[in-house]
This record gives sequence, structure tokens and C-alpha cells, in this order.
Amino acid sequence: MRLLQYIRVNSEGIWLNGRFSALPTGDWAEALYRQDGIQYPKFFKMDHLCRIGWMASELLLAGENDRFEPRTDRAVILFNRSGSLCNDTQYQTTIQDPDNYFPSPALFVYTLPNIVTGEIAIRNGYRGETSCYLLPDFDAGILVETSRQALQDPGTRSLLTGWVECAPGQSDDLLLCLVDAETEENWNEKNLLQLYRYGHL
Amino acid sequence: MKKTYYNSIDMDTFKQELKAEIIRVLNLDGMQPDDINDAEPLFGEGLGLDSIDALELIVLLEKNYGIKLEKPEDGKAVFQSVNVLADYITRNRKK
Amino acid sequence: MKIVRLSDHLVCPLGHDTETTLEAVLQGRSELRLHSDWQHLPEPVCASLFEPDGIASAFAENGQTDQGYTRFEQLAIASAAPAIARSGIDPASPRVLFVLSTTKGNVELLGGNGAGQSESVSPVWSAERLARHFGNPNIPLVVSNACISGLCAQIYAPRALQSGRYDQAVIVGADVLSSFIVSGFQSFKALSQQPCRPFDRERNGLNLGEGAATLVIGRVENADGAWTLCQGAIRNDANHISGPSRTGEGACQALKATLAGICPDEAAMISVHGTATLYNDEMEAVALQRAGLDHLPVNAYKGYLGHTLGAAGLLESVLSMHAIDRGVIPATRGFSEPGVSVPLQVSNQPRTTDKKAFIKMLSGFGGCNAALYYRKGGTQ
Repeated sequence: MRLLQYIRVNSEGIWLNGRFSALPTGDWAEALYRQDGIQYPKFFKMDHLCRIGWMASELLLAGENDRFEPRTDRAVILFNRSGSLCNDTQYQTTIQDPDNYFPSPALFVYTLPNIVTGEIAIRNGYRGETSCYLLPDFDAGILVETSRQALQDPGTRSLLTGWVECAPGQSDDLLLCLVDAETEENWNEKNLLQLYRYGHL
Repeated sequence: MKKTYYNSIDMDTFKQELKAEIIRVLNLDGMQPDDINDAEPLFGEGLGLDSIDALELIVLLEKNYGIKLEKPEDGKAVFQSVNVLADYITRNRKK
Repeated sequence: MKIVRLSDHLVCPLGHDTETTLEAVLQGRSELRLHSDWQHLPEPVCASLFEPDGIASAFAENGQTDQGYTRFEQLAIASAAPAIARSGIDPASPRVLFVLSTTKGNVELLGGNGAGQSESVSPVWSAERLARHFGNPNIPLVVSNACISGLCAQIYAPRALQSGRYDQAVIVGADVLSSFIVSGFQSFKALSQQPCRPFDRERNGLNLGEGAATLVIGRVENADGAWTLCQGAIRNDANHISGPSRTGEGACQALKATLAGICPDEAAMISVHGTATLYNDEMEAVALQRAGLDHLPVNAYKGYLGHTLGAAGLLESVLSMHAIDRGVIPATRGFSEPGVSVPLQVSNQPRTTDKKAFIKMLSGFGGCNAALYYRKGGTQ
């Protein structure tokens, strides 16, 4: 498999295909959304997990030709540790107090961590596989294996895959990669771990 | 408790408040109350609202005005426009 | 190589094992009831719930002793332990993979007094406890793909086995209900206060249910008459995060990919999602027609079990295997008058069949859809 593009985001900054830029202060995803002049009002309805995953995918895919043409051959397979915990705790506040009990449907819909795969699929017209898995920690081996195994579906020829993690009180932690089925064996555990640790190959 | 509007100035103020509240709960980024035309449909074109927004407006009705809409289908009539919604709230509000 | 069922076990309010539950289903029974003041919710909820001590007793029946497991973890273990015991596998082997399918795991802990902030809310925590309970050394995988998770787990695990890294997998699907989940579905106005009526003209929403099911699978040379997980696919509508696609795009594409190279007329039935919401059932009908499958018998289990969320894909597939072993297509409880735009072969009576294959399909929030083809004795 071949690694085509990647983006790493952590508390230290953003590495887009190895090129570093500082993280905007505050809500980095919203700052970049505004900076890039994107028009996608649904962004503001998303929970934090969706916003960061969606915005990172925007940066990653920005240069692609025919980007919004509907396609079924690209899977979106994401992993994280905390699921939708950030949003779950927010939803819980809408039902916690019996005297102020107003469960919010707009928050409830984001209490599923796979919604971020759906948001990316909707934006880009991806009608292929979308999957979300939880692991105790970032695991380059399992991520690479899972993406290789996803090619057992003959309909899948490329993947947007990676780690999109946010948790209350912690810095966001992302590594998104665009890979395809071509034989160039730079998509492996060693390289993925290198990207996670250093942001570049 | 129950508020009623005896003149059009009060009603206009109420509509402005209502629009500000809609913008807030539906996260309509960059919009101001004056961007929403009182007579135009809330759903369909225009604001780009969807089924989740309709459900969230149902919560707004209950939370702010004590009005319970049991069936989401009933929302269609009530959420036609700001004019219709403001009128409906004024007639049915319990707080 | 074939991926076959070695054993299964399910635990739900209708029964604490697969046979008892299937018997109840074939007799047309259900534990769907209207509960008032459940967990102090202002609205009553019609759901299939365990008795207050139901999960603890299912857990104890299996000779398990309490080690501080939550309700959710007890349920998962109660379904896994008998299945593992019957499969003959060594769960402590590094060649065995554990996969947990759940939508919300221990989320009810969030409502507690501050305890919810701890790690134990996370399904990852529960999955690790589950794997360690059986002495398994591997990192367990949690599938979190909304309502289709149970099928996704049965697509992920066979892939992992086919890759050669593992020989067997223990796939556990479980969800318990809490005020968190029920209030959310209520805010979506998605619930019916009567037992649900899949595909019926009068259908007005879904019911939620609790339950767990475990499927132990293995990689073998020859299926030798065992139930085989032949081929499955996951496809997205790319349309809306909660509303089913009007064109059934993702479900249709998932079905087509699942049945590539397979003659669908070998299938006794399609066990559909059939949640009994207005839009889901209509979407499925459209998808079945577009995939050229509307002539096949259809069944839905939600009228017996409610929607068991992350467990649904496992519960409903396991029940289907056992039903077809008996030559029966279970009735669709709650169905009476057709209420979708495409004529479907739904029935509120059990039908007989001599076929030995079926299709399971599910759809979920996030626009995801999955289908999987099962055949007794493997592909032809």
C-alpha cells in the first residue's frame, strides 16, 4: 500500500505532509476554517470530535482533483481512545438536572464517535465503507493491519484512515493519512509510528 | 408570568429576540437577526435547516416557553416562518 | 480458507440462552412493555428491559463471581462465557482476538456522582476487562459504528482471521439501556409507546432493548456444514448524519457488494433492520428493490427484542442461524398491513424454508449501512 498524504496535529502544532505550522490559539479547527474561507455552515453544528477530524480531512484533501465527485472506492476508517466522551459529557448536562431537563437532539446525535466518518463522507461524497474503532492507545500496527484488511473488500481501493482523539481537558491528538492500494510499501508500522512521533518521515 | 404583546413594537422586539435565540441554539454562524426575513420559510432553502434543527426548535419551544410539541410533524406548521412561530408562541406560551 | 461459527450464546430479557430466546420468538412472545417513571424519566418508555436483577442472575448462572464488574460488563461476560466454553477454543491464546461491539457501553456511569469522569466510562475499559477476564493477552478491538456495529464486528473479525494473524475470534455485542440513551431517542421523537410495528402502515417509531450475544468464529479449511460468514460490506449514504437516505443508497450498495458473485435466491430470507420508524423501513424497502431483492422473504426481530443497538447485529444473526437450522423464517411481530412503498415479502406468521443461507442488514446514524451473507456449509 502507498501513503499519499498525511497530517499530524498535536499540542505542538500541525504537520501537513511534513510541513510544520504553529497551532492557532483557541479552537484551532475553527480558526483554520475561517482562515481558509471555507463555506460549510454545518461545521458549526458539529461536536468537537467531528470538527477536528473534519477540518484535518479538509487540509489533507484540499489539493485533490475532482474532490467532490461521489465515489464508492474510498473508505474512511478512524480510530480513537475516548470515543465521543467530550460530547457525551455535554449531552449529560442537558439531562442531569431534573428541574432543567431538556435533552438536546443536536448533542445526542454526536454521542456516537462514528459520526465524524459520516461528516467526512457527506462532505466529500464518499459512499464507500465508513468505520470507527476504539483502542486503548494509538497503535500503528493495528492501524496499518486494519487498513490492509479493509482492501479485502474489492470495492475499496483507497482509504482515509488514522487517529482522531479528543478528551475533556486534554489536547487534541490526530494523525490522518490518505493511502491507496498501489504497491509502494511505504505504508507500514514503522513509518506510521514515525509520523505519529515526529510529524514527518 | 405569561407575556402578551399589546402592540406591534413589543411584537417586533419579541421577534428579534426569537431570531437571536434561533441563531444561538442552531449555531447559525455569522448570522444576525436582521438576516432572517420574518415572512420567509425557516426550512427548505434559506437557512439550510434540517430535521435535527427542527427537533432542536421543539426543545427551544419547551425550554423557553413551556410549549410541548409531541409530534415532530406538528412542527411543520409552527416553523413556517418567524411570523407564524412568534404568533404561535404568543398564543400558547406557558412561561 | 473459510470463517465459520464455532459457537454462540445470547442473553436478553426473553431468555438467558439462544434456544430459550428462539423458542420465545417462535411463540411470538416479547418483553416489550411500557415502563413509567423508569430511571425518573418524565416520559414513559416502551422497551425490552431486564428485570432489576436479571443481568446479575445471568452472570451468576454461568458460575461467574462478581469482581466489581458493571451491569454492562456482567452482561457481556454472561454472553461470552458459555459461548467460549462451548467453542472449545483457548481464550487465553495470543491467536484469539476479542472484539466488542457496543454503542454506549458504561455510559450510564456519566450520570453518577463524579464517578463518570473516570476511565471506566469508556468502552475500551470494558473491552479490556472482558478480554482479561478470559485471560486473553491481546489488545481487544471496540467497534463503535452506531447501530450497525454488530455487523461491522462480524466483518472486521473475519478479515483479521483471513490475514492469518489470528485463528479464532470472540465477537461480543452488548448494550444496556440508561437514561442517557433513552432520553436521546426520546428527544429524537423516534420511540413508540406501543410495541413497535416494523413495515406496518401504523408504525410510529422504534422500541429500545437490552441484550448481548457472542459469536465465536474460527478459520478453517473446510466449512463441513458449519455456518459460514461468507462476505459482507459496509457502505455510507453520504447524505445525512441521522436521517435515512430516501434512495436507500448505502444500504443498496452494501447489499450489492455483499452479494457479488452470490446467487441471492439461495437465501431463505433477508433479516432486515426493521426498526419501525417511518423512514428506516421505507428506506430499506427502496434499497431492497433497487438491489433486486424485494422478492425474497423479509423478517425483522425488533418486535420481540426492541432495538438492541450494538448487540443487534449479533443477536439477530445468531437467532437467524438457529431459526434456519429449524427450517423456520421467524414471523415479523407487530406487522399487520403493508406500509412501505415497495411490496415486500413480510409476514406476521412463521414460514418454513429448506434453504440454508440468509442475508442480514442494518443501518445506522452517521449514514452507515452494512450487510452480511451467511451460508451453512460455506460458499458454493
